[in-house]
Amino acid sequence: MSDQTHMHVEHDIAPGDEEQHSVRERILGYVVGLGLALLLTATSFFIAGTNLVWQPSIPVALIVLAIAQMGVHLVFFLHITTGPDNTNNVLALAFGLLVVFLVVGGTVWIMAHLNQNMPPMDQIMQMPR
Amino acid sequence: MPAVPTVEATMLGKLDWSAIPLDQPIPLAAGGVVLLVILGVLAWVVVKGHLPYLWHEWITSVDHKRIGVMYILLASVMLLRGGSDAIMMRIQQAIAYQSQGYLPPEHYNQIFSAHGTIMIFFVAMPFVIGLMNLVVPLQLGVRDVAFPTLNSVGFWLTATGALLVNLSLVIGEFARTGWLAFPPLSELSYSPGVGVDYYAWSLQISGVGTLVAGINLVTTVLKLRTKGMNYLRMPMFCWTTLASNLLIVAAFPILTATLAMLLLDRYLGFHFFTNEAGGNVMMFMNLIWAWGHPEVYILVLPAFGVYSEVVSTFSSKPLFGYRSMVLATMAICIISFMVWLHHFFTMGAGPDVNAIFGIASMIIAVPTGVKIYNWLFTMYGGRIRFATPMLWSVGFMVTFIIGGLTGVLVAVPPADFMLHNSMFLVAHFHNVIIGGVLFAAFAGFEYWFPKAFGFRLDERWGKVGFWFTFVGFWVTFMPLYIAGMLGMTRRMQHYDVAEWRPWMLVAAFGMLLLTIGVLAQVTQIVVSIRNREALRDRTGDPWDGRSLEWATSSPPPVFNFAFDPDVRGEDAYWALKHHAKQQQLEDHSGPEYQDIEMPKNSPTGFVCAFFATVMGFALIWHIWWMVILGGVGAFATFVVFAWRDHDEYVIPAAEVERIDRINIEERRNLVSLAGTL
Ligand code: HEM
Ligand SMILES: [Cu+2]
Repeated sequence: MSDQTHMHVEHDIAPGDEEQHSVRERILGYVVGLGLALLLTATSFFIAGTNLVWQPSIPVALIVLAIAQMGVHLVFFLHITTGPDNTNNVLALAFGLLVVFLVVGGTVWIMAHLNQNMPPMDQIMQMPR
Repeated sequence: MPAVPTVEATMLGKLDWSAIPLDQPIPLAAGGVVLLVILGVLAWVVVKGHLPYLWHEWITSVDHKRIGVMYILLASVMLLRGGSDAIMMRIQQAIAYQSQGYLPPEHYNQIFSAHGTIMIFFVAMPFVIGLMNLVVPLQLGVRDVAFPTLNSVGFWLTATGALLVNLSLVIGEFARTGWLAFPPLSELSYSPGVGVDYYAWSLQISGVGTLVAGINLVTTVLKLRTKGMNYLRMPMFCWTTLASNLLIVAAFPILTATLAMLLLDRYLGFHFFTNEAGGNVMMFMNLIWAWGHPEVYILVLPAFGVYSEVVSTFSSKPLFGYRSMVLATMAICIISFMVWLHHFFTMGAGPDVNAIFGIASMIIAVPTGVKIYNWLFTMYGGRIRFATPMLWSVGFMVTFIIGGLTGVLVAVPPADFMLHNSMFLVAHFHNVIIGGVLFAAFAGFEYWFPKAFGFRLDERWGKVGFWFTFVGFWVTFMPLYIAGMLGMTRRMQHYDVAEWRPWMLVAAFGMLLLTIGVLAQVTQIVVSIRNREALRDRTGDPWDGRSLEWATSSPPPVFNFAFDPDVRGEDAYWALKHHAKQQQLEDHSGPEYQDIEMPKNSPTGFVCAFFATVMGFALIWHIWWMVILGGVGAFATFVVFAWRDHDEYVIPAAEVERIDRINIEERRNLVSLAGTL
């Protein structure tokens, strides 16, 4: 950050306070968001029950739909954009994603390897006391 | 269990007279003393007519400085409680060689569990959060934190947690599971009493408070900086505050979720962590440490910030390597989320997993090392003044290096297989937490006390306190390293190995020195309050400081600054001061004074916490009607708060001017005095 930069504090807008848009535009935004969210939800329920697609792909499809759902919420309801007035929000999101990735990824990895240094149960049973 | 609940069971849940431990004199006496002290203070307050003052100026205050002071007060009181636990444990281990000592096992277990819980959650956490609250808005040059009322809610919820833990002394019992309540021991089948419930509910409630404080402080640093205070001009303490509170926001929800699962197991027969029905205790280990390791950095990062401020001020030099310091802080912030498995190397994971997490843990020592060198280079060539805060800082550097090194040692998996859960580990974490966090708390306390109250602390007693604590620390904890290497495990109520005995005796002697240190610090406060007129600081800048908190009077007015300070570089106040000296503070024709709007006081926090206390207590004792009452009450409080119309009041420009003129006058005297020297 160079010394000339203005305090971008003034330009940065918290989620929710957007004075620039008219009420109509904002309502429209929420309606579109709601529509997309409902569509994605309905699709998830449909996919879960159908046998039109290859069965093992169902969990993957559900994960994809869930992530899309999060995207819709972030954009339409929490108003995360890529505009310059959104640096803090985007950075916060990135930090959150990083932490979630580290914790969830790490957990999956750790839990899958927990028994590597453990003898199988039947061997423990036969150990001399 | 009767099929149809009796009237008593409906009214009082599990609570009856057997909950009062009449057969155990020690906790009852301790609880009784605490109760007497509280009642005594309350009675004194009411009789002297201080109650309205207390209510209007402190309990309902949303001023970040007042809230900061209350956090620190809570931490200090709890330090005495946790310290008493420590004294009892050291005495027990000193005499329990081939004997049962004086504490029966079930009692000893409660003491070490309460000690750890209290020291981490109700001493270290409130102390650092208190310092951040007190100082950060001042350093940023702003009038308040981002969410003043939320701030008060956060404090009072923390106090609720502390109250519940202490209540367990007289009503019921505390957990016997250690400070992290590992299952399956903490499950209903092995801990059927209310101990674990006391533990879990106090942490759930105070955890919400901590999360709220974290959100508040992150927002404050990101959104509320004065003109020209861009990120790379913020004092180091603000940076470490940002990093620490980002960690709070990211990590505390993990703790809440984990404890919630444990509570579901205990209350509703779930099987997240039980031995049977598909539960997995290792998931608890995994989750609790995914919070637990970031937690230690939540504590130590603000501590690093305090040292940065103190070392630079008392060396009369800018902080060496400011940018590398920022980078190191943020690096620690991220890496601290990549090492948690090092707390359970020995629990089954294979070489790949252990090696990766071991290496990641050792890497954290690199940015920490960078910081140590930066402090040393800041001191190098400076005109160092060894006032009490500086003593704590130098003491920290010497002590913390050993703690860091033993940390790296236990981060080597093969070494950890020998040292895990031994007294060596106990020595390691006390070495970093006392030598790092507690020393910083004391340094910050001595350093910012004049800012908060307008008079300095007595230097002589402060130094006595430092030396006894410093030497006492080494005498208490170095023997524990040795005992650990001789094979002594942690949390032993008694033992039969002769080689350990001498070290336990030395450690007990060290504890005596530590106790004297604490008493010296209490004396210091009493003596200083008595001599406050002689110790009065009229300048607002007793240490020749460098950052903006010293630019206003001590104690600062509610609005902190009459004008938004204009920041042109690092060490904002230092630059201002030298600029002003050149101009002899001639022109103060500056801008016109303006009305200032400040947030109104609000009892929301206190009332919320009252209902949270009721609800927590009821949950612990299964008194369901009271749970509902507490929940409805807390929610109603929130609704009332959300619907209020006027949340700000105006301080008229004339009043601002009057207050500010006094401050300017004092300062002008200071500058002209400096001119004559
Ligand atoms: C160079 C930095 C550090 C490294 C490499 C490190 C490494 C470790 C390791 C490997 C353990 C687990 C050992 C075992 O259970 O056998 C441990 C435990 C612990 N460390 Fe550190 N540590 C470091 C710094 C810190 C700091 C700065 C703090 C606190 C401010 C801290 C607090 C703790 C605590 C509280 C425990 C024990 C928790 C328990 O089991 O109850 N450590 N450390
Ligand atoms: Cu750790």
